[in-house]
Amino acid sequence: MSAHSIPTLHLRRERIILPIWLAGLTLLLTAAGAAISREFGDERERAALAAVAAGNPAFLFLRGLPDGTGVGALVFFQTFAFLAVLIGLMNAFLIVRHTRADEERGRSELLQATPISRTAPLTSALTVALLADLVAAAAVTAAGMLLGFAAWPALLFGLALGCVGLAFAGLSAVAAEVMPTSRSANGLAASLVGVAYITRGIGDALGTADSLDSVSPSWISFLSPIGSAQAAAPFSTATPLPLLVPALLGAAGAAAAVLLRRRRDLGQSLLPDRTGRALWSNADAWRLAIRSQRGVTTGWAIGTAVLGGLAAALAPVVLAAAQANDDLAALIRRLAPGLAVETADLFTVALLGIAGTLATASGVQAVMRLRAEESEGRAELLLPSPLPRSAWMGIQLAVAAGSAIIVALAAGVAAGVGSALVEGTTERLLIPLAAVLVHLPAGAVFLALTAAAFAFVPRLTVALGWGLLVLGLVVGQLGDLIGLPSWLQAASPFHHVPAIPMEALDPAPLLISLAAAALVAGAAVVQLDRRDLVS
Amino acid sequence: MLTSDHPIVVRALHKHYGATPALDDLDLTVGAGEVHGFLGPNGAGKSTTIRILLGLIRATSGSVQVLGRDPWPDPVVTNRDIAYVPGDVSLWPNLTGGEIIDLLLSLRGGGGPGERARLIDAFELDPRRKARTYSKGNRQKVALVAALARPAPLYILDEPTSGLDPVMESVFRAEVRRIRNTGATVLLSSHMLSEVEQLCDRVTVIRAGRVVETGRLDDLLRNAPTVFRVIGVPAEAVIRVPGVTGVHSSGDGIEFAADSSAIPAVLHALHSFNPSSLTATPPALETLFLRHYETARS
Ligand SMILES: Nc1ncnc2c1ncn2[C@@H]1O[C@H](COP(=O)(O)OP(=O)(O)OP(=O)(O)O)[C@@H](O)[C@H]1O
Ligand SMILES: [Mg+2]
Repeated sequence: MSAHSIPTLHLRRERIILPIWLAGLTLLLTAAGAAISREFGDERERAALAAVAAGNPAFLFLRGLPDGTGVGALVFFQTFAFLAVLIGLMNAFLIVRHTRADEERGRSELLQATPISRTAPLTSALTVALLADLVAAAAVTAAGMLLGFAAWPALLFGLALGCVGLAFAGLSAVAAEVMPTSRSANGLAASLVGVAYITRGIGDALGTADSLDSVSPSWISFLSPIGSAQAAAPFSTATPLPLLVPALLGAAGAAAAVLLRRRRDLGQSLLPDRTGRALWSNADAWRLAIRSQRGVTTGWAIGTAVLGGLAAALAPVVLAAAQANDDLAALIRRLAPGLAVETADLFTVALLGIAGTLATASGVQAVMRLRAEESEGRAELLLPSPLPRSAWMGIQLAVAAGSAIIVALAAGVAAGVGSALVEGTTERLLIPLAAVLVHLPAGAVFLALTAAAFAFVPRLTVALGWGLLVLGLVVGQLGDLIGLPSWLQAASPFHHVPAIPMEALDPAPLLISLAAAALVAGAAVVQLDRRDLVS
Repeated sequence: MLTSDHPIVVRALHKHYGATPALDDLDLTVGAGEVHGFLGPNGAGKSTTIRILLGLIRATSGSVQVLGRDPWPDPVVTNRDIAYVPGDVSLWPNLTGGEIIDLLLSLRGGGGPGERARLIDAFELDPRRKARTYSKGNRQKVALVAALARPAPLYILDEPTSGLDPVMESVFRAEVRRIRNTGATVLLSSHMLSEVEQLCDRVTVIRAGRVVETGRLDDLLRNAPTVFRVIGVPAEAVIRVPGVTGVHSSGDGIEFAADSSAIPAVLHALHSFNPSSLTATPPALETLFLRHYETARS
């Protein structure tokens, strides 16, 4: 096999997944852009929105820094951090798929036995990522120009996203070298994306206002590739210089990964394998499911606990800023009714909402383990035993639900205890807990949908599991931003999650979600007994 | 046919993947207490049959009785009494071999700790290593120990010795003889003809999802062709004798195969030519089966 046929092979395997990612990114941007230019057509409204955002650390944390008052500036402000997370994840999963995952499954061994260099699969994966990021940059530029942005800001917007992608391609390549399994490599790479988003959030929230609608970030933002890329500010200062930070980070990561790969054996990681127990006296299907999930759930729970802690720690800052901005808030309410400005709570709710989503994601991932067991051949050892398939799936669903609950609890408890410490009163101890737990009935629907995908179309479990979750989030939580009709938004279970404590708790939609989840899960269990095991 | 005497009875079994048939009217009968060899070229449908027997996949049509029951509607009941080694063993990478053995044993209701220890010792397996770090043969041993450490009425083994070294193969053969002496039934799919020859009472050979040969091994061997190598005789001497096949010249003599019924006629025909040397190789499983494997390619 010649060296350049490996990128061909990788591209071939990417011919479905990568286009979906790229199209999704571009579509989100276009939809959000169209909705924003429709709803904020008036310069005064945009100026007001920018001013509210600039004066509100909650907005700054969640969305990023305002970049002026034009339509393009507003689109950039509303979407950049979110798109940056998406392109980061796209690169992370792309790199791990073609490096650690291939090694783990033994596919690399076939390739590496041919006269190619040891690092060829890695450099090829990095090349594919570079191509994907270039295409993403071009697509974003084109979408921007379609939305009516000038050429240079549109290009800079695209380049900024592309550079964020490159940064995470490099960092994920290192993660794939260091971690022993594709699951843990994906976990590490995705949490680096999360850390970059949060670091930028903290830096932006602690920024200093230059004028009514412009904020300079604190130096902390520049520690994050997302924060640095955002500083290119395509619609105000428009300087490409800060893009060097993510681009160099990506290059450094790639170089480090290549060096690491040169030095290590195929299939080895930097974390050595230790020997373990020779006996497992109380082994059973429950303990197997729990053991397989425990490490991953702990990782997710640490992540959401950090989010919860941040919500508590930053809430007073946000509140103070909001109080200083009362007049402005009143002005906004008049100009753009429906724009929520109850800021301190809004901030907590938004962060705990992210935690609720992460809790759901941890559960969805746990359900997908069923498919991994099947496609990797371990179900063939498990199922020819007196373990019924329904019990196998039931146990995994219960463990997945448990994982979601634990991850949600971690956020709620951290936020509750954190705010008790910050405010010196235990009055609001339980509110964050409620705020995050109310996401779980909606989350249960997605756990059940993933199980149904596994039962009905096993080969599409992973694609459908994540795809439906993302669709539910986009429709239910970003529906307003991208201007979806309200009946469509109402179809997503996430749309009905009450924003505690700003909204009252109505148990009806939660119970409906739970009932729907139970129904779908029941159908999945019945169908699983009727189908062939497929590898 | 009495199913109590026949732990596995399969009739007119079909399995289609889309339009292509993987099993095409397959019959298989395994008698109680026998070690039954299940042979056939790659892709013949051995693993597919076995997965149907275990209720992992569903037959398109045909009847399947395992231990007197159809495995598909309720595999749990039949699987209670089956020990299985899959053709492709993949393990939980982060569990140790010992943990995996205990897990699989406990799912089946627990195994004797004495048996477990004895087998781990016999197969020279280090049970403390993570499965990720095992070689192919060692992964195979984990599945073997888990299957053998708990007595079962029926053992279904899909290429159980693939990856084992010769010493371990002989350990495996001893284990099969041991379980056979307890009265258990074994269905053994294998590509190792010597192993089949040493262990099996009866064999079934399948090709492209159909049975091409089945019967007691010694009957098959008795009726199999003997290979002759004769020097000082032209090919015309035997070429027209009924039951003689594959006549060709080799070096200064000729070689051919003769069915057992044709041997008197062959000897008679050779006699008048005064051969200077004659070797007759008794039928080997290999000559018997290679025919089936080779025609698979044409
Ligand atoms: N899930 C599937 N989809 C489509 N075809 C399949 C599937 N599983 C098996 N087959 C086909 O069924 C046929 C029988 O395969 P099987 O694995 O039973 O062969 P085998 O006799 O076990 O071969 P080997 O000796 O190589 O293990 C093959 O042609 C195979 O390609
Ligand atoms: Mg097979």
